[in-house]
Amino acid sequence: MSDSGSGSGTDPDRLPSIARRVLAPFADRSVAERLVISLAAILLSITVGFVIVLVSGRVAECSTAAWTMPVTGMGFCYDPVEVYVILFNGALGYPFAVGEPGLLNPNWSPFNLSFGLTLSETTLLIFTGLSVAVAFRAGLFNIGTQGQLVVGALATALTVIAAAPLLPEGPVAGAVLILVGTAAGAVGGGVWGAIPGALKAYADANEVITTIMLNFVAANVAYVLVLEVFRAEGSSVVATRYVPEHAQIRPWLFSASSDFALVALAAGVACIAGLYYLLEHTPFGYDLRTSGVQAAAAEYGGVNAKLTTVRAMTLSGAIGGIGGSVWVLMSEGRWMASVPDLGFDGITVSILAGNNPIGVLPAAFLFGLLKGGALEIGFQTDVPTELVGVLRGLIILFVAMPEFFRMVGRFVGIGSGGTDGVASTSSEANEAATEGGETDA
Amino acid sequence: MRNVIQSDYVRSLVVGTLAVLGLLGVAGLAFPASVAGDLAGIVFSASTATSTARLAAPIVLAGLGGIFAEKSGVINIGLEGLLIISAFASVYVASLVGIGNALFGIPAIWVGFLAGVAASTALSGVFGIVCIEFKADQIIAGLAVWLIALGLAPFMSTVFFGGVNTPNLGANVGWEYLTAMVVLATLASWWTLNRTAFGKHLRAAGENPKALDTVGVSVSKVRHAGVLLSGVLSGVGGSALALSIGQFVGSGETMVQGKGFIAIVAYLFGNYNPIGTLGAGVLFAGLDAVQVRLQQLGYAVPDTLVQTIPYVVVIVVLALVGRTRIPEAAGEHYETEE
Repeated sequence: MSDSGSGSGTDPDRLPSIARRVLAPFADRSVAERLVISLAAILLSITVGFVIVLVSGRVAECSTAAWTMPVTGMGFCYDPVEVYVILFNGALGYPFAVGEPGLLNPNWSPFNLSFGLTLSETTLLIFTGLSVAVAFRAGLFNIGTQGQLVVGALATALTVIAAAPLLPEGPVAGAVLILVGTAAGAVGGGVWGAIPGALKAYADANEVITTIMLNFVAANVAYVLVLEVFRAEGSSVVATRYVPEHAQIRPWLFSASSDFALVALAAGVACIAGLYYLLEHTPFGYDLRTSGVQAAAAEYGGVNAKLTTVRAMTLSGAIGGIGGSVWVLMSEGRWMASVPDLGFDGITVSILAGNNPIGVLPAAFLFGLLKGGALEIGFQTDVPTELVGVLRGLIILFVAMPEFFRMVGRFVGIGSGGTDGVASTSSEANEAATEGGETDA
Repeated sequence: MRNVIQSDYVRSLVVGTLAVLGLLGVAGLAFPASVAGDLAGIVFSASTATSTARLAAPIVLAGLGGIFAEKSGVINIGLEGLLIISAFASVYVASLVGIGNALFGIPAIWVGFLAGVAASTALSGVFGIVCIEFKADQIIAGLAVWLIALGLAPFMSTVFFGGVNTPNLGANVGWEYLTAMVVLATLASWWTLNRTAFGKHLRAAGENPKALDTVGVSVSKVRHAGVLLSGVLSGVGGSALALSIGQFVGSGETMVQGKGFIAIVAYLFGNYNPIGTLGAGVLFAGLDAVQVRLQQLGYAVPDTLVQTIPYVVVIVVLALVGRTRIPEAAGEHYETEE
């Protein structure tokens, strides 16, 4: 890979973007290898998390030890096995009766509150994960999904609140308002995403920096707008009015307090399918992918790189904005200043998914599980729920180091057995194939 | 080469000054004359200077660290995480020793300081191994460093203190120490980068690792050193941030609140020149300090809006100045050739 960088020589105007260079190894990897590495990363982070729980359980103070180490008799305040059982079992609503002979809980129903919360998070993360993935595929690192989500969410809330009185109350009006609100969210997020796209394309401004800055700008400006102009009367927090009940995406089958609507999840899955089709089977998708893998080759092949950059960032922002719409219309019912870190989690989801729209579904579900399970850990144990944040960071760290797993694989004698030289040759071959238009990723 | 650097340095200074003057002009237009008068008073007041020093320390120090890492060829966007981990570790260890006590004759607060630096250096060491030995994607690994610290520091705080915020130590490090650290670190960084053999190796590792390898210097060793230095300097910055207040705040984005990202912007703004980085850091911190003073004087400017100014300035300047010239081989892995 180092050759592609030094090949551009000393001409400072022809430096490839940082993102494109660091992302190239991702584009080259085969789907199967990515899957193995993602799974290995999850397992390794769970192992490290296990150690963290043990160690912190050793230093924390408690009256009775939750777990005692065999042989040494050393006591620990937290039981790591219990933590993980609660994390994953609890996120599903305890389908497994641990310690019982049948192992399955006969009273378990899939439509329980905990599983609803998990799926609610999953739904939101599908949108933010897709948002990051689209930009990634175009060779752009969109750290700004968070800001695009904030802007999209505010646009949705304000549009629906303004439009609601114009229509008679009822399910039809509700459906119209939801669609209009979602469109407003897409436009808001799209515009916010287009800004760094245009700055990147026409002013060479690094999108990693501009999107980070725009996150802060979005959060601050939205906060001040709601504080000064759109704040609901008598509200103790900085928040808009609630959108009317009939314009909210209502839970169906699942309990109302789970804030989970199956129709939103279905929309998320449809979005995945749509994006997969767009990326793999349309001329725009082809332009986008080739720009991501080999910008120079794409331009040589007639792709308008600048326009593709703007379009990719706009699309990415629009999907992030729709995530904001779903957050407002399904989860909160209004725009609140304390927007959760869904955009940053989207980066994790996308990376774990190998930036593949289809991979976003299991990756979003995994992080939905972690989020849902964190609530259970908070209810059931003394272990701080921030543990889940640590696990999230560890998963990203391990996914980022595929070479580590290859080394381990070589050490224990499994895997492709390819040496560095072979690996880099095959990646160059892939790249050459991509230039020829035969993409397989 | 030197001419290029100096003209870029001058450019960044000019841009920085123009930005300040422009903002003052905008403020003058936006507010009545009396406010503009107050504003000038604030800008040149002693309390603004001290709070600027306090606010600038983490930005400038982490920014200097970022230069060392990136000059060596490793883009470290995990500076934010390094600041967070050192901020927590310094307060934790200082409270462990106990304010008023000393360890080996070193007062608790300075023991905490050293511990913060050690924690940040250790985390940067992990980041370096992951990036250099395991060839991890630097941007993603940097992001992971941030997220791990963002989870770990409040987690540990809850384990030790029962909440994401630690209690206040009841003692803090004075602003004059922070100023001395910032100035010394800036000068030392400039000297190291421009006047020493190590600085030359560092730049070669980022610009042309093959050439460095050819003359028999280990590229990976130089890169590890660059990354570790980013950890040391960020550690000083994070400890300075927390110990100048005497507390670690772990709620939300923690007390670091994006200062690590602003640090990246500061060194890009300063075009990898330590002195330019100092200028940019002081500029951002100064804007923040003026904003705080405006609040204290009772002006009902929403503080959140004023806090937005540095971010907007960054976007505008990036749009006008365009890309900064990153080291040629930054973000790439280097294979030693036999």
